[in-house]
Amino acid sequence: MNMLRLNNIHKKFNHLEVLKGISLEVSQGEVVAIIGPSGSGKSTLLRCLNRLEVIDQGTIEIEGEILATEDTEGKCQYVSEQKAREICFKMGMVFQQFNLFPHMTVIDNIIEAPMLVKGIKKDIIIPEAEELLKKVGLFEKKDSYPSRLSGGQKQRVAIARALAMKPDIMLFDEPTSALDPELTGEVLKAMRQLALEHMTMIVVTHEMAFAREVAQRVIFMDNGDIVEEGTPEQIFNNPQQPRTQAFLKSML
Amino acid sequence: MEKIITMMGPMLDGVYVTLQMFFITLVLSLPLGLLLSLARISKYKPISFLVETYIWLMRGTPLMLQLLFVYYALPLVPYIGIKLPDFSAAILAFVLNYAAYFAEIFRGGIQSIERGQYEAGKVLGMTYVQTMRRIILPQVLKRVVPPISNETITLVKDTSLIYVLAMNDLLRTARTIVQREFDMTPFVIAAVFYLAMTLVLTWVFNKLEERYAAYDE
Ligand SMILES: Nc1ncnc2c1ncn2[C@@H]1O[C@H](COP(=O)(O)OP(=O)(O)OP(=O)(O)O)[C@@H](O)[C@H]1O
Ligand SMILES: [Mg+2]
Repeated sequence: MNMLRLNNIHKKFNHLEVLKGISLEVSQGEVVAIIGPSGSGKSTLLRCLNRLEVIDQGTIEIEGEILATEDTEGKCQYVSEQKAREICFKMGMVFQQFNLFPHMTVIDNIIEAPMLVKGIKKDIIIPEAEELLKKVGLFEKKDSYPSRLSGGQKQRVAIARALAMKPDIMLFDEPTSALDPELTGEVLKAMRQLALEHMTMIVVTHEMAFAREVAQRVIFMDNGDIVEEGTPEQIFNNPQQPRTQAFLKSML
Repeated sequence: MEKIITMMGPMLDGVYVTLQMFFITLVLSLPLGLLLSLARISKYKPISFLVETYIWLMRGTPLMLQLLFVYYALPLVPYIGIKLPDFSAAILAFVLNYAAYFAEIFRGGIQSIERGQYEAGKVLGMTYVQTMRRIILPQVLKRVVPPISNETITLVKDTSLIYVLAMNDLLRTARTIVQREFDMTPFVIAAVFYLAMTLVLTWVFNKLEERYAAYDE
């Protein structure tokens, strides 16, 4: 089943065209890694999926529901705010900078949105949240404030927080880039676990080893375009495009 | 000693007027200031422009002038002009003025919250209003405690401006007695009262800061 379909996405910041006609389909349970040099538009692409950025042109379809499409004159039209919100909270997102809520304890960070947005009762969501915390190995931190956690712990809480909304798709924007090298492992482990549970995932990453091992498909972006895509095998062992080759060489 | 006790009667009446001015102004101008700050950052340009102009007027002219205007000039305005009793006029002028200052403090607080907090709320499915109420404003409150505390202590002393409307607040009462009895004691008593009030406020705001220290950023 198709979880996500993008057709010919264009996005400009002022006069700078950052996405130049991206098309992409992701099926259920697939793990897609997006790699590419800085400024190539990877974050922007992810952010367009859940309307943190508004696209100028193209179509976005999430689980068969249209989020944005072009009208007969070719102008991009979004569905209503209410509808867009319902479509978008099926996608969880994990940010490079964690973006935990500093004024709430770990457990409150996790239960806030399910209670507020979905109206789930506290006594129902608390056990679920505790289960998620156990899963990311942070149950004993449930009453701590985020400022007391290491970067790796923060990011694992952020993952649990996103999962508490029971998303069908998880978006990761360089989830380990803000971490000390010795802390990336614990976050990658949690992500690996999710992949094993067949979560549909789109991961922007500089962790080539992770992309190679966990992703079913690797997409190389450069300068607002998808330059090359294929299995990790194809991209890492046998890249066809000179730009892909050059990028991979620079990553070694 | 006996003299002091006979002074205390009118002095306490003055304290009462001062306290009333202080608390009513504070209770009304804080929420109004918050509303104004939200309007000030609104996407709707006419609204934010209107509020910006309002804040400029209120901060750009002396509070004393505003006080005199509300009391003496407002009744002369055609159609809407009403003659307010002195106490109401004073409250109106103070609330309008302090709300403008508080609005700027709240705005600074709101704009100091990282964009990532809004984005986190949004991707979790929260509406703008939910994000504001549950995520942004609680963090803003922590950050604005120190400047609000400053403004509040200034308000204690600003209340003495109402003497221009011939209202018998603490300071005017003190002056009246001093002029009548050629005795400086009332000034000392007034000073002690203002200092005590400031002390209490400092304590309250310190407690607030301590409570918010539960989480650091
Ligand atoms: N809000 C914005 N306003 C203006 N320009 C922006 C904005 N966000 C991104 N850009 C520009 O768009 C381009 C693509 O940025 P993007 O963040 O998507 O790149 P990226 O591939 O994620 O890079 P990195 O690996 O450094 O995270 C860059 O040139 C960036 O400067
Ligand atoms: Mg990026």
